[in-house]
Amino acid sequence: MKSSSLAGAIGASSRERERASASASASVSSIKFRMPTKEKEKESLIPIHLDLDLDAHRYKDAFTWNLHDPDSLVLSFAKRTVKDLKLPPTFVSHISQSIQHQLAEFRSFGGQDMFIHEKIVPLKLDLRVNNTVVRDTFLWDISNFESDPEEFAVTLCNDLDVADPEVAPAIAVAIREQLYEIATQSVSAVKEAKLGKKGRRGYELSKGGNNALDVSRYFGSKGSGVIRKRKDWYMNGPTVDVLTNEEVGTLEELNSRFRRKLDEKEDSFLQG
Amino acid sequence: MADPSPQPPPSASTQSPLQPLQQLAALTELETPSVAPSVSKPDTPGPTATATPELISAPSPAISYTVIVPSFSAWFSWDEIHDTERRLLPEFFDGKSTFRNPSSYKYLRNAIISKFRSQPTSKLSYTEARRGLVGDVGSVRKVFDFLEEWGLINYTPPKKGKEETEARGALGKKDDSSGKRICTSCGAGCSLQCFTTAKANMTLCAKCFVKSNYQRPGLSSADFKRVDLLEEPRPDWTDKETLHLLEAILHYGEDWKKVTEYVASRPVKDCIARFVKLPFGEQFIGPKEEHNGYTEQGGDDTDENESIKRRRLSPLADASNPIMAQVAFLSAIVGPHVAETAAQAAVSALSNLGANEATDLTTETNEEHEKLYSTPCCSVDGCGSDLSNCRDYHRRHKVCEAHSKASIVLEEAKNRGSVNNVAGFICCLSLMG
Repeated sequence: MKSSSLAGAIGASSRERERASASASASVSSIKFRMPTKEKEKESLIPIHLDLDLDAHRYKDAFTWNLHDPDSLVLSFAKRTVKDLKLPPTFVSHISQSIQHQLAEFRSFGGQDMFIHEKIVPLKLDLRVNNTVVRDTFLWDISNFESDPEEFAVTLCNDLDVADPEVAPAIAVAIREQLYEIATQSVSAVKEAKLGKKGRRGYELSKGGNNALDVSRYFGSKGSGVIRKRKDWYMNGPTVDVLTNEEVGTLEELNSRFRRKLDEKEDSFLQG
Repeated sequence: MADPSPQPPPSASTQSPLQPLQQLAALTELETPSVAPSVSKPDTPGPTATATPELISAPSPAISYTVIVPSFSAWFSWDEIHDTERRLLPEFFDGKSTFRNPSSYKYLRNAIISKFRSQPTSKLSYTEARRGLVGDVGSVRKVFDFLEEWGLINYTPPKKGKEETEARGALGKKDDSSGKRICTSCGAGCSLQCFTTAKANMTLCAKCFVKSNYQRPGLSSADFKRVDLLEEPRPDWTDKETLHLLEAILHYGEDWKKVTEYVASRPVKDCIARFVKLPFGEQFIGPKEEHNGYTEQGGDDTDENESIKRRRLSPLADASNPIMAQVAFLSAIVGPHVAETAAQAAVSALSNLGANEATDLTTETNEEHEKLYSTPCCSVDGCGSDLSNCRDYHRRHKVCEAHSKASIVLEEAKNRGSVNNVAGFICCLSLMG
């Protein structure tokens, strides 16, 4: 409950810092594309997401990859994974291709400008790892380049006594994915602005998407500005549920049915 | 997989016999460190390299076990980072990276090792390890490979390790009195040759040696010395074994595979050799009167002897095996001295177990045959008449006309031994040829 009533445990202190610095600098700064997380130069940890379905084997995975690891690691990682999980060998090429594709995509953004202003964005967690379901919403400061999703994930799991060690890396990857998406959106926003579509004023307002929040409005004018409205409390606290195996089974069944429906729709759409 | 803190000491009202056990379990419980690097580790002592081979099991869910760590990794400790680690994984310690630093290294290392030790019998795969770890997969890979190479995870000591011999003495090299060697890796008996190495005190059969199936990583093929087991002397046959052999032969006849199985302690060649060397009387456990008549030292009159011998030899002569029939005939025709010499030579050649024994025997028989043919005189004892006048048939079979008209000539065996030896000679020919 504590975390829900405060304006997001993570962003608070850094937000104040940024406020101070922003007011001091007064102008918005555009910087080169990067993950808005703590990293030194020449390294980036980016989220990799794999979802392959071949030969009746389904391989779904998400992990963090260091962009500056040598490319030879991709192939050896793919081979190792296939061997450890006993997947058919056709997976090796697919996995390595998918990883390299995502790495290339990230690299293509390199060198471009992204616009990071002081921004608080809400991040959502809604994931299921083995038997544990985690749902959470919290605010994250994009402009804080010292943020560390891994640390956040680990602290969250410790505080909530999550037994499964696989939950923490999944949370970290989920956070990174969302941050990555926001970063790419801000890049495109900069591009749009440069093309002069919206003009200077619009450029400031659009600020790379709808994620920006007007903080004062968000928290309500009554009382001090840092207490969340009571009705929003339930939404903003983390919930961790541990499911039994049957519940997991039913969930997976629902998922697969849903996926099949989507596939059918897609097929009919393509044909029609 | 954070374990709860050690169980609180049981209250005084609980059963007393369980108490000390539970306390012991609580003390020796190996706790897995929690995921966050900031949580301090409990101060249970980490397993050391010289683990005592004891297993303490407790009724509580925590079970302590021994962990074997190779001696070259004895520097490992939970709380510290050793120079070896700093040297071999410099990227964690040079401060150039934000996410590769000593604390994250320690976290990864301790997490991987605890995960392995929670299930020390199964091999921890890299994928399984990285799934539960926060961090980028490249770093996890580096730490994992390092730990695996240094035997801190996925390490199974070889069966010959000295810590293991006390605990698992049964798996050590078997060297029982019969001189058999058991291969350490596949457990099969080595019959022909084995390869030993003094370095690890191991014995491998030929197959495993060729497959390079060395248990220990530090061995190479040059370390192995070949030992030929055929040179080793075989102990003598005991009476029991001989009895088994005879029973088996009675049951199975000439099926030497089955006989060897029955005897169970000797290879096929041994069985055959032993059988051949046996005295004649034991071979035929026939009707009593024959046996009795035989054992008497030829006390009965010649006729009876002759008829007995005729009966005895007739199985051989009537054998559908043409070789047996021929040899029976030969043994009858040939003088007892010649036959005895030939048989003795054959048996002694057998005991040498050379490969050319068969050919030797055959050459001997050929020689003997030649000898017989060169001097055309009747071979019946006491006759010796010149056969050059007789027909070819007579010459060939070394009987003069008079004696050829008799039924199969059976010379009175001067000594039992010669006929025995001839029988042995017959048998060995048919079996080894």
